[in-house]
Amino acid sequence: MKQSFVFSGSGGQGIMSAGITLAATAIEMGKHATYLPEYGPEQRGGSAKCTVVISEEPIVSPLPKYCDNLIVMNEQAYAKFAEDLKEGGVLLANSCRVKDAAIENARVISAPVDDLALELGSAKIANTVLMGILIGATGIVSREAFTDALEKKFRDKKPGVLEMNMAALDKGIEIGRKA
Amino acid sequence: MGDIKFMKGNEAIAEAAVRAGCRFFAGYPITPQNEIPEYLSWRLPEVGGAYVQGESEIASINMVYGAAAMGARAMTSSSGPGISLKAEGISYLAAAMLPALIVNISRGGPGLGSIQPAQSDYLQATKALGHGGFHAMVFAPNSAQEAADLVYTAWDYAERDRNPVLLLMDGCLGNIMEEVQLPPMREMKDEDLPEWSLTRRNGRDYQGNITPIYTEPILEGINTMAGEMYKAWEEDDVKVEEFMLDDAEYVIVAYGIASRVAKEAVLRLRAEGHKIGLLRPITLFPFPKKQIRDLDYNRVKGIIDIEMTIPAQMREDIELQVKDRCPVYEYGRSGGCLLDDEGVYEAIGEILAGGENNG
Repeated sequence: MKQSFVFSGSGGQGIMSAGITLAATAIEMGKHATYLPEYGPEQRGGSAKCTVVISEEPIVSPLPKYCDNLIVMNEQAYAKFAEDLKEGGVLLANSCRVKDAAIENARVISAPVDDLALELGSAKIANTVLMGILIGATGIVSREAFTDALEKKFRDKKPGVLEMNMAALDKGIEIGRKA
Repeated sequence: MGDIKFMKGNEAIAEAAVRAGCRFFAGYPITPQNEIPEYLSWRLPEVGGAYVQGESEIASINMVYGAAAMGARAMTSSSGPGISLKAEGISYLAAAMLPALIVNISRGGPGLGSIQPAQSDYLQATKALGHGGFHAMVFAPNSAQEAADLVYTAWDYAERDRNPVLLLMDGCLGNIMEEVQLPPMREMKDEDLPEWSLTRRNGRDYQGNITPIYTEPILEGINTMAGEMYKAWEEDDVKVEEFMLDDAEYVIVAYGIASRVAKEAVLRLRAEGHKIGLLRPITLFPFPKKQIRDLDYNRVKGIIDIEMTIPAQMREDIELQVKDRCPVYEYGRSGGCLLDDEGVYEAIGEILAGGENNG
């Protein structure tokens, strides 16, 4: 089945990185995936959005108008993309920056992603908490495949970074499963 | 068979170029193609090649001219505004009969336009890549995989014809990441260097001149040979994908990213019982004239040109082949606003519902 994901927020929140890691993980699992980034000229603070499509079949169009899963990291992203969520889709919102996320006929998951990341050691792992919630709530990729991807990504970083991300992932999965 | 890699379209172009034997790149930064020079800046030195970030587009294209004259597989890449600056040098490449690969990862236009993707350079690519009435073969892939495959063969055409080749792809496909199976590494040997090249490697003798300057009768002869070459391309080198055309009453013509959104719409409309298909030019020059001219116009009720640019630029080439035998419609997005599945599906639906009155 084809599933589409829009990740949105501002530059520096790890939006693009989350999208790439999800798509790469799906491919490692033998699925097909496309990742399309869209951003302005700014490196930090500008609008950041990426679209990920995952399917068992080769992907024809990478440009869906409506998505099955919308992940918003801030208020501006929510305001801009809420109307692009399909009926019955999943909205995952960072409640630290999105107040009162509510879309009719959607499965709404709000979690204080920024606060959770800080509690676990760094604001930089907010996107991993977010991915954990998404994986826990939707099962789009397995925990094992995603941890393999995290290991590849962080194995050359300084000690502790990988472990912190693993903890963030598991915290997210725990929240996602209950949501 | 190599591994499947998850790569950007731009990176797939760069790696495929290296594997095709490209050993020289010169260019100047511009969005949305920057991953090509970024990648080649570290990759070319690994294989003994040279990477130059030129002081300008004009300097860069002329460095490509120099490298090509020495027999190297040379390339440059840019986006619309930069390709305009390179136009003079590309024309000189054609005049001097030098092979090279030019990559245009296109964005909104005209002028500075937008850094966001658009298919706004069809006319520039196919009609006048520079002054003087020459053409280059124009490849228009619709995936990272096809971009890699076409780049891999680009110098074979360029060297066969002693003429530059253009790869035209929009910024969406340049930046998309998807699965790519890379071709094997080609080992280029000194004896593979073209006979006409000026290199003295391996004790080769002085070969003569490479020049873009000719006396009148010789220039006329060169123009005539070029004309014959373009005709031969039409016979031998047209690449096209024909999808669900056998019983199609409506035929979409779309290339690059637009063709993927259009194909999604064809699948959806077919499931609803509509007889619709897709004709996708993979070479924009030579254009698939015959494939469009020879459609069965007793059956085909309309042609729909879908492009990520407004107004549609390919339309005139289509109309020349349709010859008023059925209406031609167009739908597009432009300026960096992307086509999407729903928009294309709805636009086609309106055309099907309105039939011939919806010109």
